[in-house]
Amino acid sequence: MKELLRLDSLTKAFGAVAAVNSVSMSVFDGEFLTVLGPSGSGKTTILRMIAGFEAPTSGRILLDGEDIADRPVNRRPFNTVFQDYALFPHMTVFDNIGYGLKVRHAPSAEIRSRVEEALKSVDLTGYGARYPDQLSGGQRQRVALARSLILRPRILLLDEPLGALDLALRKKMQITLKEIQEKVRITFIHVTHDQEEALSISDRIAIINLGDLQQVAEPKDVYFRPENLFVARFMGENNLIGGRLAWRNGDQVGIETPLGEIRSRAVGLGDEHPAGSAVSLVVRPENIFVTDEGGAEDMNCLDAEVVREVFIGSEDKLIVRPRNHPGMEIMVKIHSDAGRDARAGQKIRIGWRAKNGWVIPGADPALS
Amino acid sequence: MSPAMPSRRRARSRLEISLLFLPTSLWLTLFIVVPLAMFFIYSFWTMKDEFLVRGFSLANYLRFFAHSVYPEVLWRTFVLALGVSGITFAMGYPLALFISRKSGRTKSILYMLVLIPLLTSYIVRIYAMRLILGSNGLINNLLMMLGLIREPLPFLLFNLFAIFLTLCVILAPFMVMPIFTSLEKIPRSLVEASRDLGASEFETFWRVVFPLSLPGVIAGFMFIFILTLGDFLTPILVGGTQGMTFGKIIQMNFGIAFDWPFGSALSVLLLILSLLIVLISSRFGALREI
Repeated sequence: MKELLRLDSLTKAFGAVAAVNSVSMSVFDGEFLTVLGPSGSGKTTILRMIAGFEAPTSGRILLDGEDIADRPVNRRPFNTVFQDYALFPHMTVFDNIGYGLKVRHAPSAEIRSRVEEALKSVDLTGYGARYPDQLSGGQRQRVALARSLILRPRILLLDEPLGALDLALRKKMQITLKEIQEKVRITFIHVTHDQEEALSISDRIAIINLGDLQQVAEPKDVYFRPENLFVARFMGENNLIGGRLAWRNGDQVGIETPLGEIRSRAVGLGDEHPAGSAVSLVVRPENIFVTDEGGAEDMNCLDAEVVREVFIGSEDKLIVRPRNHPGMEIMVKIHSDAGRDARAGQKIRIGWRAKNGWVIPGADPALS
Repeated sequence: MSPAMPSRRRARSRLEISLLFLPTSLWLTLFIVVPLAMFFIYSFWTMKDEFLVRGFSLANYLRFFAHSVYPEVLWRTFVLALGVSGITFAMGYPLALFISRKSGRTKSILYMLVLIPLLTSYIVRIYAMRLILGSNGLINNLLMMLGLIREPLPFLLFNLFAIFLTLCVILAPFMVMPIFTSLEKIPRSLVEASRDLGASEFETFWRVVFPLSLPGVIAGFMFIFILTLGDFLTPILVGGTQGMTFGKIIQMNFGIAFDWPFGSALSVLLLILSLLIVLISSRFGALREI
C-alpha cells in the first residue's frame, strides 16, 4: 500500500505537559486507521494536529512527502466529523451538506445535484429541508458524514463520532461507517476509546497512551500479539504471567515462572534479551481450555481450582487458581456448553498451546 | 383504573402549582398590575381647572394626535433610540467578539470591566458625562490646552446631541452583555467545522458566528430601545432646553404641569410601543439570551 500521510516525531506540549510525545507513523492510502487510547491519552490531539486545529510544538506532518504542519485548516484536503457533529443549527440539512461547496463558490446547480447525491448515499433523501434539531442522533451523524464526504477529502478524520450514540445504534453505525469507507475508498483516521469498536472496523490500530505511541498493527496482531504490557492489558481481558527467560531455542522459549517452566513462542521478544531477563507471558483467556490430557511437548498444562464461574452469555468465564501458586488468578473463557458443570471449588486441569502464548519484555510489577 | 383518576390527580397538581405561584402573583399584582391599571384608568380622566374629572373621555389621546409636537417628539425619541442602538451595536459588537475570543482570566477581567459601570448609580454616570462634555469639562479643557480652540465648544452639552452621546456611553453595557452571552453559547466546534469545510475566518464569521449571535444583537437593540424611549433623567441633566424627549414630556406632565391624566395617556402609548418592541424581538428569539 502507498503511504499517504506520515507523522514524523510529532509532539504537542501544553505548558510543561507533553500531550503527544514524538509520535511517528505512516497512514496508507485507502486504509481505515483507528487511533485508540484511554481518555487523556493524546489521541484527539493527534487528530486535531492533522486537521490543523492545533499547531504541533515540533515534528512534521507529511502529506505525499510535503510538510503541511503550517498550512491553515481550510487549505488542507482533510475533513473532520466532530464528536458533537457540529452541524450548523441555523442551516437546513441541505445547506449544511452544501456548505463546503458554497464557500468554494461552486455553481448552485452543481451544489444541488451533489447534495442530493450525498443525501442519497447516507439514506436521507427528502430530509434536505429539515433543520438539525429535527433529526435523531443517528441521522445527524449521517448528515455530518455527508457534509464531509461531499468534498472528497484525501483523508476523513473522525473524532469519536459514535461516542454519543446508544449501544445498539453505535453497533449499527460502526457497520455503516465501514461500508461507506469501503465504498468511497477514502482514507479514514478514526479516534476512539472503545477497544471493541477499534477491533471490529479498523484495517490497522494505533494505540496511544500518555502521549506515546504503543503499537501500530492490524487488529488481530494488536489483540493476540501485544508488544508491551500496556497494550496487553488495554486490549480486553488478558492473562499476564511474569517470569524470567530461562532458555531459547530457535523460535521456542522457556520461561521460569512461579507456576513452573512455561513454553512459548519467542516472537515478540527481540534477540537483545538474554536469558535471565524479566519477561511477561500473555495468554488470551479464550486460548486456554479445560483438558484431561497430560503435558504434550507443545502444551502448557497445570492443575487448578475454580474460584468462581461467571456466565456472560455466549461464554463462560472461569476464574481459577493454580494449585502450585494459589496467589495467582487465571482467567479462562470457554464455550457455555463446555463449562456447564464448572463449579466453584472444583479441581480442573487447564492448558494452552505454546504457540498461543506471546512473550513481551518487562515484568508487570503487579504480577510477580 | 377508572379514567377519572388521572384527571383528578392532574387537577390537584395544577392547584398545587398555582398555590406555589401565589406569593409571586400577589407581589406582581400589587406592585405592577395595579399601578399600570391605575395609569390606564387615569388616562381616560381629564383635568378641568386643576380639578380631576373622573369620567370616560378620549380627550387625552386626541390631544396627543391633535398637536403635532407630541408625535414629533415621539418620533424624534424613536430616531434617538435607533441612533443609540446603532452606535452601541457598532462599538459593542466588536468589543463583545474581542472579549469572547480571550480565554480564562483575561476574559473574565475584560467582561467585568464592561459591567463595572453598572455598579455605580445611573445619575452619577450621567453627571460624569457632564464633567467630560461641559464647557469647563475634560474635552474642552484638553482642546484649549492643545490650542486647537479658543472658546469652549458650546454644542457639547445641553442639547439632543449631548443626550445621544451620554446614552451611548451609559447604555453600552446593555448591548455588550447579550451579544457576549450569545457569542459564548456558540460551540467552538461550529467555528472549527466551518474552517474545516474550507471557509476563511471572515466567511466563518459571516456565515456562522454572526447569524448565531443575532438573538443577542436583537436583545441588545431591545434593551437600548426601551431604556432610551422611557429615559427622562438624561434629558433633564444633559439635555438643557433643546433636548426634549418623550420621557421628559411625560415627566413634565406628572411633575411640573400636574396633568396626571395626560401624562398617563402618554405613558400608556409608550408602554404599547415598548410591548410591541418586546413582541417583535421575542419572535427572533431575543428573550432566550437574557
